[in-house]
Parts: sequence; C-alpha cells; structure tokens
Amino acid sequence: MSGKLTRQFLIYGAVCLCILLVPVVVDDAFLLNKYARYLVFGMLAIALSLSWGYAGILNLGQATTFGIGSYCMAMFLKLKTVPVHTGSEGLPDFMVWNNVTELPWIWVPFQSTTFSLLAGILLPALFAALLGWFIFGGRIAGVYAAIITLAVMVVANLIIIDQQSYTGGFNGITDLAEFSFLGIDFDAYSASTYYLVAASLTVTLFLALAVSRSKTGLILQAVRDQEERVRFFGYDVALYKTFVFALSAGIAGLAGMLYTIVMEFASPTFLGVPLSLSIVIWVAVGGRQSLIGAMLGAILVTGVQGALSESEAFLETWTLIMGGLFVLIVLLMPKGLAGAIEALVRRLPQAGNGRSARHTEPDHRPETHPNLGGTQ
Amino acid sequence: MNRNRRNFLKVGAAAGALTLTGFPHIWSRNASLAYAADGEIKVGVLFSLTGTTAIIEESLNKATLMAIEEINAAGGINGMKITPVIEDPASDPATFAEKARKLVLSDRCVSVFGSYTSASRKAVLPVFEKQDNLFWYPTLYEGRECSKNVIYTGAVPNQQQDDFIPWLVEKFGKRWYLIGSNYIYPKEENNYCKKLLEKLGAEVIAEEYVPLGHSEFSSVINKFRSEKPSVIFSTVVGDSVVALHRQYRAAGLDPATMPMASLTTSENEVAAMGGDAAAGHFTSAPYFMVFDSPENQKFVEAYRSRWGGDKVTHFVSESSYFQVHLFKQAVAKLAASDISPVTIREAVKGEQYKAPQGLVKVEPENLHCWLRPKIGQCKADGQFEILTQSADWLEPNPYSAYPNQKCTAEGLKEI
Repeated sequence: MSGKLTRQFLIYGAVCLCILLVPVVVDDAFLLNKYARYLVFGMLAIALSLSWGYAGILNLGQATTFGIGSYCMAMFLKLKTVPVHTGSEGLPDFMVWNNVTELPWIWVPFQSTTFSLLAGILLPALFAALLGWFIFGGRIAGVYAAIITLAVMVVANLIIIDQQSYTGGFNGITDLAEFSFLGIDFDAYSASTYYLVAASLTVTLFLALAVSRSKTGLILQAVRDQEERVRFFGYDVALYKTFVFALSAGIAGLAGMLYTIVMEFASPTFLGVPLSLSIVIWVAVGGRQSLIGAMLGAILVTGVQGALSESEAFLETWTLIMGGLFVLIVLLMPKGLAGAIEALVRRLPQAGNGRSARHTEPDHRPETHPNLGGTQ
Repeated sequence: MNRNRRNFLKVGAAAGALTLTGFPHIWSRNASLAYAADGEIKVGVLFSLTGTTAIIEESLNKATLMAIEEINAAGGINGMKITPVIEDPASDPATFAEKARKLVLSDRCVSVFGSYTSASRKAVLPVFEKQDNLFWYPTLYEGRECSKNVIYTGAVPNQQQDDFIPWLVEKFGKRWYLIGSNYIYPKEENNYCKKLLEKLGAEVIAEEYVPLGHSEFSSVINKFRSEKPSVIFSTVVGDSVVALHRQYRAAGLDPATMPMASLTTSENEVAAMGGDAAAGHFTSAPYFMVFDSPENQKFVEAYRSRWGGDKVTHFVSESSYFQVHLFKQAVAKLAASDISPVTIREAVKGEQYKAPQGLVKVEPENLHCWLRPKIGQCKADGQFEILTQSADWLEPNPYSAYPNQKCTAEGLKEI
C-alpha cells in the first residue's frame, strides 16, 4: 500500500514538475499561451474526474461552474478598465450601449480584488452545493442527475445571453484589463501567466489526490459502486455527494477564472454544451478513475485537436479524425489511456520488474465499469 | 551604428538572461524579423469551416482565397506572392481567439482576413490591439467600434438605413413593426432606425426580440396579422431568418401590403429558404449579385468557375473579395522592408478600389469604407431586383445613432 502510494506520489510530482519546467525550454509567447489554455482544460478534467470517476456523478454541465468563475474574473477585470475605455457615464461599454445608467448591484462587489477572487471559487461551489442538495437530497441519480446538470447549464447560458445589459449578452465581456496580483502583471502571453496556471493546476491535482485518498474519498468510491449499501451503513450519502460536487465546481470555477486571464475575454460559449461534452470526452479518453489520466487526457486531446486543425493536410477532415479516435479509444479502452497503461504495467512484473506494481491493489476496483452513468 | 549595435547586444543579452530565468520576453528578439521575407507575404484567413456559421463563412473563405489567387496570378505584389495561412476557428469564439494568436504570433502574418459574427470579432480584438496587428472584417455590423487595428469593409447602420427607411415610409406607410434577434446587432440597428422614423413622423407599433436561433414564429405572425403594420423591419439573423420567411408565407400574408424589410437577408439566406418564401421582400445592401457592372460580371464569373456554377455571391462575400484588393494596393505602395501591420494601416487610408459594387474608399478617420447602398426586392428565382441605388458613395459613420460621439484617427472623441 505505502509503496504504491509513494509511486503514485512520485508520478504525480514528476508530471507536475515537467509542466512547471515548460517555460524553461519553450520561450515562444504564443506556445506558452496555448499550453496555458490546455492546462486550464486539464484542471476541468480533474474536476470532472473527481465527481464522475470517484463519485459516479456524471456532470454534463461542468461548464456551468467554469463559466461562473470565468464571468467573475471578467467582471472584475472589466471594472478595472473603467473609466479608461468607457463612455462618459463611467460604466462598462456594453452597459452604455444598453442604456444602463448606474452600475447594477451584482457588479458592485466586483470592484474588490479579494471579493472577486474568492467569488470565482466560492460562487460556483455554492451554486453546485445548492444544486447538489436538491439533486442528491432528492435521491436523483444516474442519467437523471446528468440531465438536470445539462438542463441547468442551458438555462444559465440562456440567462446570460438574454440579460445582455448586465452580462454583455451573446458577445460576452470583452476588452478587459490585465490581471495583476501582488505586484505581478499576468500578461496573457507571458511565462508569469503560464506559471500561475501551472501552479494552480499542481495545487488542484494534489488537493484532489488528497481528497481521493482520504476516508471521504473511499466512501465516495463506495457510494459510486454500491450506493444503497453505504446508506445502510449509516452514511449520509447525499452529503458526501454534495461535497464532492461542490468541490468539483470550485475547481472548475478556479479554472474559469484562469481561462479568462489566458483568453482575455468571457463568452456565453464558455457555459456551452460543446465544451461540457468535450470535458466528458477528455476524461473518458484519459481515464476517469485516474486524476492524472483525466488531466493528461484533456491536455492530449486538446493538443492533438489544435495540431490537427492547424495542419493544412487535415483542414477539411480534422473533426472526422477526432471523432474516429474517440470512438476507438472508448471502444478499446473502457478505462481510458490511464487504465490501459495501468493494465500494461501490471503485466510487466512477470517480465522481471517486480517493484513497480503488485498483484493486489486493494484500493482499486479490479473490474472495469463500462456503463457511462457509473451508478445504478 | 556602434550605439545601435551596443543596444542590440544589450537587448540580446537581456533577452538571453530573461530566457534563462524563465521569463522570456521574445518581442525584442522577433521584432527584427521582416514581415515580407523570401518573396512572400503571409496573411491569415480566419473563417469557420465547421460549426454553426460554417455555411456562410465558407463563402467568405472562398471569396478571400479567390482574390489572393487572382493577385498572385497577376504577378503578386511588387513581385512578392501572398501566402494565405488558413485556419478553422470552428464557429467558437475561444477557438477564434486561439487561432488569431497563432496567425499573429506564431505565423507572423502581416494581416488577418476573417470572421462573420460580432462575437467572434470581439473575441479576436484583444489579440490585434495588443500586438498592433491588422484585422480585416468584411461583415456588416452594428457600428460603435473605433479600433485602429480593424479595417471594416462591411456596412454600418447609416449606410444601410439612410436611403432605405425614408423610401419604405414613402412607399408603404408609417406603422412599423421591429422584429430582431436578441443581441447587440439588432438593438443597435433599431436604435438608429427609431431615430430615422421619429424624424419622418412614423410610428413604431412594436419592438420585439426573439432568442438567437428561434424558429417558432406563429405568435409573432399572429401579431403581424392583428396589428397590420405597414412595414416589418427585420433584423432577425441566421436560421431564424429562414423560419420567419417560410412561416410568413405559410400564413398567407402578402408582401405587397406588409413587406419585410431586412438588412441581413442576402442571396445566401434566400438560397437556404427558397426563392418562393423570400419573393417580394426588401433588402438594403451595398451589393447584390445581379448588379450590372463589368467588375461584378468578372467577379461572379470567376467565383462560379472557381467554386462551382451553382454558387451565389452576396454582400459579405463581395467585401471579403474587395478587401484583399485594398490590402494589395496598400502593400504595393510600400518598400518590402517597410511592410508591417502599422505601415499597411497608414497606406490603406484613403485608398480606393473599383469593387463589384462600384468604387469604394477607406475612410482615413475611422477605417470603415465608403460604400454604395442599393435597395433590392427579392424574386422567386432567388435573385434580387435592384430598385434604387444611391447616387453617390455614402460615408461610413459607426456612431450614427450617437451624434455626440465621433470615431477619429486618434480614437473616440466626445463632441
């Protein structure tokens, strides 16, 4: 057990170190910006892996909380541009266009740095906690819970587009100030922004690892496998599920804030169905029961997607190729790339490598779990 | 000279040191690279080839590429070829921003032609403003933007409405129903329309916004029937245009007494809804495919022989086409070593080109174009009949609805 823990810790540490060292090797502003974007997606994948892979809650609306975080940061940075880039009223430009005459009350607290940064994590978490309390308290599970998360996201997206005098509507919130914190300017193209994202990713990853390794993490996995039995033992299943749902939302919110810094705008498409489904695909490809697998899955898939769509040869066919790859991976590797690698490593000891793996792995379920919902 | 070299060494050493410490400031390093090298000038072409707006954006991509091919076939610009770098932003604003960054920073394109929706333009804007690059935007839009990093070759509200609204009031009457999709473009167009209507003594009997992508117009059409407006001013966009026209026709309403007047219904939308549904309604635009000019004849023929005999040209593909020629004329004025986004912007100011719609010009103050508005009525064969055209080209005024603001070369001014 402890040997395995050390090994896992070493792998996680090595991967994070590699990610943190990228700017030493890469000194291209465009690439750093692009990689930072992929790392944000990696954080989203960790968030979904926690709720889907560990607790069996398939969240088809992960982008909702991502979007809330993103808008929190955008509102904060937009107010920083007032009154430099705005009309005579000293309001964000799109409010002037929509004939708003004074700063709406929901915008007022975003003048404070502390509030904004906390809000970007806590608002999504609170939102998810309320939603989770409703879903899990009502013992809604499986596909039905997934549908609710999807529906809530569509509603949130519509509200943002519709309330354009407060949200910038379809165009989103654009023309933002540069984020600066503790005297450091986080230019979207600089290594400082890359480090900010990479450090946040590292912290998130180890936090998620700690949770998954804790007693709570074990109970969550038990809930995923046999919810009724856990309930008979006297555990408050809804509370545990709500907790992990909110934690996952907080991570997504943080990712959203970073995304706004990296992309320099917030858009209702950040709360969109395409992004949410992409997260599910990344996690499925990487392996939903492995935090680092899910994270690397996101980085890998978005990286390949970017490279394919940028190469002239695949300009017309890249979506088709991506689709084919997903189908193949999901069919051939139900536990994703991480699961496939783990299975490979487990076979190796016969070939002489005795240290790296054991036959008994008490904390990992021996069987794959092919159905998408994860709960029965 | 010595001083320069010393400075260069200093900058180089600093850049090296910063790279080693992990904070590379590559701007200083790349700044010495010329934009036009090895006899080629790289430009970005950024239109969605997949996703929700792919159909319309593909036609813009085709018109842009055709113009580039034409220029290269005729010997390029001062002997240099234009090399297009084509990216697919997949109708997603975030991907638009990512691809724009690639084109500007990684490919070092000297300009980028692209985008259709306002949302995607807003998404790429920070990239061009921060890197001081140049974005060529061919689409009609709502105005109220004053960026020195965008050349706008589509129409702004005053260019589509100044002739159109009085003409409609005179011909059909003063009870107006405004219907639009719920976002900034229709709201801004209506803001200006209401000003014109007020001056003409006409009355707005309803102003209604439907969600983007809305396709169920029966309640709206019932209101048309009961309110009997003399003109329906439609700024509905995308698939909703198709639904609105089809349902209008299915309800048996008559365009002869209650026409829809649109700023966005082009040959492209008409092809999607079928000529029968569009027949009798009006559009105001600087260009229609049937416009009779030698330049347009050449354009339509070239487009069809390059991309297929059944293809239509329309007022956004036309501006996608002529803006590349404006780019060429601007670059032709520059020495190869001087070519950069900033020098091109300065060179294109006041530049004129004989476009398919007629002679157009880039306004030096606000980088929008002087255009030639026309009023067309759609016929059942999917083409428009041009009823009137403005006597002269019309000045672009992106702040037409806001007389106390003016876009100038120095930025937005309050008057």
